[in-house]
Amino acid sequence: MSTERIIHLADISFIVGSLHSLQRDIGSVSGQVESVGQELNATRTELSQLEQAFAEFVAADLQAKELSLAETRQVKIRQELETTFGYYGVVRRQATGILQAADVSLVRQETLRGATEELMLSAPRYWLAPALVALAAWLGDNKDLASRALAEAIRRDDEKTSLFFALIARRAGRAQANSTWLDRYFGLQNPYQLDRQTVVMLDAMANGVFGAAVSMQCSKRVTAWIEEISQRAGFVETQRTQWSEALLSKAPHDNHGERYSHLQRLSPSWKSLNDSLNGVAMHAVVLAHFHGVFQGEITPAASMLIAVDDLLTKLVTRFDDEELPLRRKEELCSLIIEENGDKRTAQSRYDLQSKTLEEQVDFTQLLTNAAMHPQASQVSRATQRFAIAHSRDWIVDAHQDVAARVRMKIPSQIEVSLEDWIGTTTNGNNEPELLGSIKTHLQKREVDALSQVKLGMGHWAGIVFGVVLLLMSFSSGMVTLLMGAACLTWVYIAHRKLAGMREKIKADYMRLQEQSAQAVRACMAEVVELRRDISKRDSSALEVTGLLKGISPEQHILSSHDSVRRVMVAGQ
Amino acid sequence: MARLILGTKPIQTTVVNPVHIFAGNRLSPQSLQARLRQKRSARYIDAMTQLDAGGHVHSTAANQALQDAIQQELPDVTVDALPLGVVSKCYLGAPYEVHTLDCTGGIVKHFKCGETLSPLMERARSLANHPTYAFIEVYSTKLIAVSASGQTAIIEA
Repeated sequence: MSTERIIHLADISFIVGSLHSLQRDIGSVSGQVESVGQELNATRTELSQLEQAFAEFVAADLQAKELSLAETRQVKIRQELETTFGYYGVVRRQATGILQAADVSLVRQETLRGATEELMLSAPRYWLAPALVALAAWLGDNKDLASRALAEAIRRDDEKTSLFFALIARRAGRAQANSTWLDRYFGLQNPYQLDRQTVVMLDAMANGVFGAAVSMQCSKRVTAWIEEISQRAGFVETQRTQWSEALLSKAPHDNHGERYSHLQRLSPSWKSLNDSLNGVAMHAVVLAHFHGVFQGEITPAASMLIAVDDLLTKLVTRFDDEELPLRRKEELCSLIIEENGDKRTAQSRYDLQSKTLEEQVDFTQLLTNAAMHPQASQVSRATQRFAIAHSRDWIVDAHQDVAARVRMKIPSQIEVSLEDWIGTTTNGNNEPELLGSIKTHLQKREVDALSQVKLGMGHWAGIVFGVVLLLMSFSSGMVTLLMGAACLTWVYIAHRKLAGMREKIKADYMRLQEQSAQAVRACMAEVVELRRDISKRDSSALEVTGLLKGISPEQHILSSHDSVRRVMVAGQ
Repeated sequence: MARLILGTKPIQTTVVNPVHIFAGNRLSPQSLQARLRQKRSARYIDAMTQLDAGGHVHSTAANQALQDAIQQELPDVTVDALPLGVVSKCYLGAPYEVHTLDCTGGIVKHFKCGETLSPLMERARSLANHPTYAFIEVYSTKLIAVSASGQTAIIEA
């Protein structure tokens, strides 16, 4: 009672008020903290924006500097180019004009000769200048000057001079000169590193752009390249392996189970048999492929002729090797300017361009790609024929290997399995033997099954118990007699049932024998058919060999289709 | 690209030097493969296809002649790279199916259908029965199927 009074009397309003005040203060502090947090977030965002803006500024500044630097460098490089190789540009411009003039015969010989001789004086190291003097001398029937100018052009750049005159001779329809120059040009090539223009020339040669006689001559050069490359250790085997894989990839992956349904169901050898059927089916596919390549008339595409003419244009308008380092620097500067000072993007564009321009291929890689992947390597069917003809020996060897490998995998023994019976056959000619074997096997199983159908221990116990009860009935009365009789009756009924079961087993085995014999006969018939099928498909291998051996590189060079002069387009 | 002739390192190629071959030096794996792939001579094929004559089974001289024929056919191949045996279809008639020449022991054996060959020779059995091939040379890591024309086909193990 006294405790209640003390509480009642205490004045806690002050404490309550203080607590309320504290709560308000905490609320106020919490609000302030939240406000500070918001301000901090805003500050962070602003800082991030500032950082981004700064980074952008730095990048823009860097780009601006790179741009400015590139522009300055470009001017310097151009000045250097103008100073050092300025006359080369004049020679190139005039070369285009001279070729056009030569094509349409609109300029007097004297003018041509004067212009070219002046060029000769202006460009002391450039191969094109003496080449143009030689051309003008040739047009003016001045053999002596032509020879001397040619000798100088060849001394300055044999490869380009040879290609230049090969292309000029082709335009002029001079087969003999074309042949000589082209052979010289191909003779200078390194078969391990062919550049894009040689690839175009080879494609053109295969398409008969230069005429049959010229192409034949150059084809011999190509044969010599192959002989040279073949000396490289392991090269020929690599080619054969590549061709083996290419030929094997032509094998179909069909399931022949519909045609050979019994073997599919009953032969454990089915997978090997199906694989073998697909393996030997490869020959027909390969034969069809090569027939497809070698049959039909091919006319060279107009694009081919344009490509060859373009070569001449490029040859006389393209920068010379001497200028290339400076020209490359200039190109990079131009790209940097184009990309507004973004050096990384400009560099990647430059690298991509350089890779395309400087692409060099191995001649055999060119042959393999042309023969195996014509679509991917964008070669014409004529070049595909040419490539296959030159790879013929490797293909024949690879085909022999693949054919032998497929033949080795054909199962010599074919198994037939019916439940727990397994029989083997080679050609399906041991049918009576297999029928006898399965009959004996089933008879044995029948005997075993019948031997299982007999009275059990319970039945024998019933007989003994029944007999004992019957004997006891003489002294024990009717009940015992009835029990004994019931036991014996039960055993009798069971015995009758066993006889019925035996009859059923015999009937089942009879039916099984008939069905098994039919299945074995069907399998043997299918084995005979399958062996015939495999043999027929395998015989196509001979046709493939015959077709391939009949191919010669000389046969697959088209005759010339172009004798029309084309006037070069100025400014190309 | 123009061929570089002077002042540059020549392209590395391995050319089989005939002098080395005849000096009995061991061929490189690539050269050996190329050598084994070469077409077989008619004389060699005749010698190998005479196994059916039957005299070889018991004649040491005949077996030696066969081994000599192999060595003459592949004179530049060292003994350890020569075929270990030859398997071919037997034309003695049923029940014989194939016969083998064991080059190490110089033994000719005729095998009946279903009779098992040594594991080394057994893998050549189905090819030996193929009508395209005159006989099969058995090596430790490969088989070389030789057709009647001498054309070879190599099956790597």
